[in-house]
Amino acid sequence: MIEVSDVVKQYQLNKQQKKELQTTANSINAVNKVSFTCTPGKVFSLLGPNGAGKTTTLRMIATILKPSSGNIQVNGHSVANAPNDVRRSIGFLTGSTNLYDRLTPGEIVKYFADLYGMDATTFKQRKEVLFTRLGIHEFAKKRIGQMSTGMKQKVSIARSMIHNPSVVIFDEPTSGLDVITANSIIELIRQCKQEQKTVIFSSHIMSEVDLLSDELAIISKGNLIFNDTMQNFRQQAAGQSLTEAFINLVNAN
Amino acid sequence: MHTIFTVIKKELIDTLRDRRTLISAIVLPIILIPLLFFGATKLTQNLIQKEQTKKIKITFFGAPENIPSYFKDENIELVNYFNLADAKVAIEQDSLDAIIEFAPDFQTKVNAMETGNINVSYKTTETALFKRISTKLEIYKAGILQDRIQTLNISPEAINPINIQQTDMASSKEQLGQVIGGMLPYLFIIMCFLGCLYPALDLITGEKEKGTIETLLTVPASRFHILLGKMLAIALVGLAAAVMILIGLLVSLRLFPDVPAEFLTAINSIVSVKFVMMLFGMLIPLSIFFAGLLTTMVIRAKSFKEAQSYASPASFVVILPAALAMLPGMELTWSTVWIPILNVALATKEIVAETIQMPHYLVVVLSLVLLSILSILISYKQFGKESNVLN
Repeated sequence: MIEVSDVVKQYQLNKQQKKELQTTANSINAVNKVSFTCTPGKVFSLLGPNGAGKTTTLRMIATILKPSSGNIQVNGHSVANAPNDVRRSIGFLTGSTNLYDRLTPGEIVKYFADLYGMDATTFKQRKEVLFTRLGIHEFAKKRIGQMSTGMKQKVSIARSMIHNPSVVIFDEPTSGLDVITANSIIELIRQCKQEQKTVIFSSHIMSEVDLLSDELAIISKGNLIFNDTMQNFRQQAAGQSLTEAFINLVNAN
Repeated sequence: MHTIFTVIKKELIDTLRDRRTLISAIVLPIILIPLLFFGATKLTQNLIQKEQTKKIKITFFGAPENIPSYFKDENIELVNYFNLADAKVAIEQDSLDAIIEFAPDFQTKVNAMETGNINVSYKTTETALFKRISTKLEIYKAGILQDRIQTLNISPEAINPINIQQTDMASSKEQLGQVIGGMLPYLFIIMCFLGCLYPALDLITGEKEKGTIETLLTVPASRFHILLGKMLAIALVGLAAAVMILIGLLVSLRLFPDVPAEFLTAINSIVSVKFVMMLFGMLIPLSIFFAGLLTTMVIRAKSFKEAQSYASPASFVVILPAALAMLPGMELTWSTVWIPILNVALATKEIVAETIQMPHYLVVVLSLVLLSILSILISYKQFGKESNVLN
């Protein structure tokens, strides 16, 4: 369960940044009073153009960034007051993440398991399940630097799922991946939904969102401009393609 | 504690699998010193030998008849010139090496028991030349002196009223302290810093550049412990580099044939448990200080390139005080104990010479520990800033 209420992320601008953005304001809200709720067993999509504030929002949920105001609760824990409780229950995966080139999948997964404070038996079982499901065993001894993007992505998945999180956060997980590799992510999201996890993922690709989402939020220039079920969005689109509806909605705001 | 060890373990595996770190921190220091030692000394020896046995051409003007017999030497060729001007031109053109010119009244003066003048013209760029000529002339001079003593019927002591002797009271350890005491800390301080440099770039900026830091920040482990683990891993590589160069130095001293025997015995007695412990007492906080210093400097950098431009000026801050310690007259006093890096270098000199005063040593260690704690706290503060950690 993720509950985001009235969250603002404000950045102070220095002289040079003001010039670049051609503004006289001293600060800018990357995320402006955004509220939404993600429930277990459902896939929540955060859709928006580049620079809309998707990554900032997800980073705040993942406790990487602190909200300037507003509140975020993950499974009842506040990101501001109990960040470590939040961290224990989330798994975080981004499309831009790299792995440590000189380590093997086994070493990376072990490193994160240790940082999560997992005990040895639970870790072994969980690793076995993930490595089998993702087919990592066949290249488990290889170093990341020698792997293909597809292999790396599988290891990334194993790493973010090693502690069996009940809430998973995917930040543009398929960006830069080919169709085949992207499919492993889509499979993962489906699996998470089946396991009754809370899933939130961001994307700027409508077709991907259409494929997976139960709930949809559209964000533009830091503001939430749509927040409803996917079904209602389809109905609202009324004849237009979903991408067209999305573009029109963003342009109208 | 668990997090710190997990991070140290992972970072060490990661770093030591990197060939660049391995070469710059472990392999280079251990072979660099023997190479410098052997290479440089062999080279100078060869050059000196060459200078001394080089064939030289000399000419005399107005020399007494018996002079040429003193210059019988297979490496000296006597040539004749009709006038001085030609001979001088020959020296300028390098076809002649020296002119030995006796004053016209030379023989008369010598016979009259006065002082005869000899002028040797040569290029001072030929370093060994004058010594070779003057050695021959000294023999000639000694012969004349002997004659005069006989003629005057005096004892040789009469013209040698005093004899000055010197006795070296410095123990061989003190001499060693003078010889290698200055160079030793200079080498290991710089090596320790360089050893920390690459891992700092890799473990701090590299994590940011590759984008791995984001996921690391979502784990429930303490961020302070993660940073501390990284800094300790950096410090360990720096420490390893310093130890490697010390080993390299010891090995080359032992393998080197021309090291005097008393030096070797002195070295053997210096490398004791106490010496090693005192050295590590300074090296450990020093490497943590370097790790913290470098972390603070590179933490805001977005790329390796940017990080390098921040860290390079720091090497001057390190090299300068280390080099200052080699100046004569620089000693560990109550004022120099507080100057970071310089105090390590000076204290090492005194530890080698076994003249270190315990209160001085303790202050040096204490100041290093304080500095390393300070550097850890500053870099933690930097690490806590969102704008520093994320690109």
